[in-house]
Amino acid sequence: MNSRIFFFCISLSIFILLLSNGCSKNLPEDRPSGLKSIQLLNQDSSIVNFPDEFKGNILLLSFIYTNCPDICPMTTHNMQMIQEQLKKEDINNVRFAELSFDPLRDTPYILKEFGDIRNIDYKNFMFLTGNEQEIRKILNTMNILAIPGDTAKTENGGIVYFYTHTDRITLIDKDGNIRNEYSGSKANIQQIINDIKTLGD
Amino acid sequence: MLLFLYLFTLLNSFSPEVKIEYAWLRPAAKGMNSALYFNLNNVSSKADALYKVTSKIAELVQLHATVKNDDGTMGMKEIKQIAIPANAVVKFEPGGYHVMLIKLKKRLRVNSKIEFTFYFKAGGKVKVTAVVKKE
Repeated sequence: MNSRIFFFCISLSIFILLLSNGCSKNLPEDRPSGLKSIQLLNQDSSIVNFPDEFKGNILLLSFIYTNCPDICPMTTHNMQMIQEQLKKEDINNVRFAELSFDPLRDTPYILKEFGDIRNIDYKNFMFLTGNEQEIRKILNTMNILAIPGDTAKTENGGIVYFYTHTDRITLIDKDGNIRNEYSGSKANIQQIINDIKTLGD
Repeated sequence: MLLFLYLFTLLNSFSPEVKIEYAWLRPAAKGMNSALYFNLNNVSSKADALYKVTSKIAELVQLHATVKNDDGTMGMKEIKQIAIPANAVVKFEPGGYHVMLIKLKKRLRVNSKIEFTFYFKAGGKVKVTAVVKKE
């Protein structure tokens, strides 16, 4: 009888081990983000120690600029959809951040307006801006390209410029490792939610 | 009756008809940018082209296409006109063609309605009302 129980426990352990390995294979290998601690500002002008602020939680991080009329609003919308879905499923260990790669124009006030007009729930969602050089370091570390280029001249002679940029949402685990990367504007929301569930608590 | 049908067919052959459907735009703050989306439904047997859109809502209004570059980055380019083949639908949608509204003169609130004028090569001027929607 004891040997039967022993055999059952061993079998169960192997099954659980195989199951957990199977789940983790859904996600790429851990990759340290390489981010050094940098002070940024959120939409309320509060200082945020990035990325330390998010350690202990799963972080969904995207890269935007608010003068973007097409791609970045789609990314923000996708982030918001994921936030809403996770809230419905009572998954509370995820935080959302959108880092502006256009800090000269994207002040905290502008970021707040961008969020408010979209009814962002700031409970676990924030926009980030900061010093241009510091933000450039983050972008370089995370292989995000953001190159100011196309310009337009308004009727008042004002110059407006736009960015050519990487379109990305990055999934970072609670230890600060990059676990997956997705298109921001054309994100498969269900895939991201599944990956978040795979990371678990 | 035959004369009427003949005149109708003749008129239709010289005057392509492009219907502007599902026009909507994104909410945005004053001074920022937004994008207008819609379908151009050419129900005639003649091709046409959209070459300009105007509105008082923004300092500058341009026809744009979002493009994906070889390195995977996304950008935009202005386009001078967009061909609308006969009996075809050309979609202006997120991530593709859009009318770019640069430096908005007032805040675009959800459900508000904004007037636009579309200019077609063959079809002339068409006025359209678009609604501000959240995606």
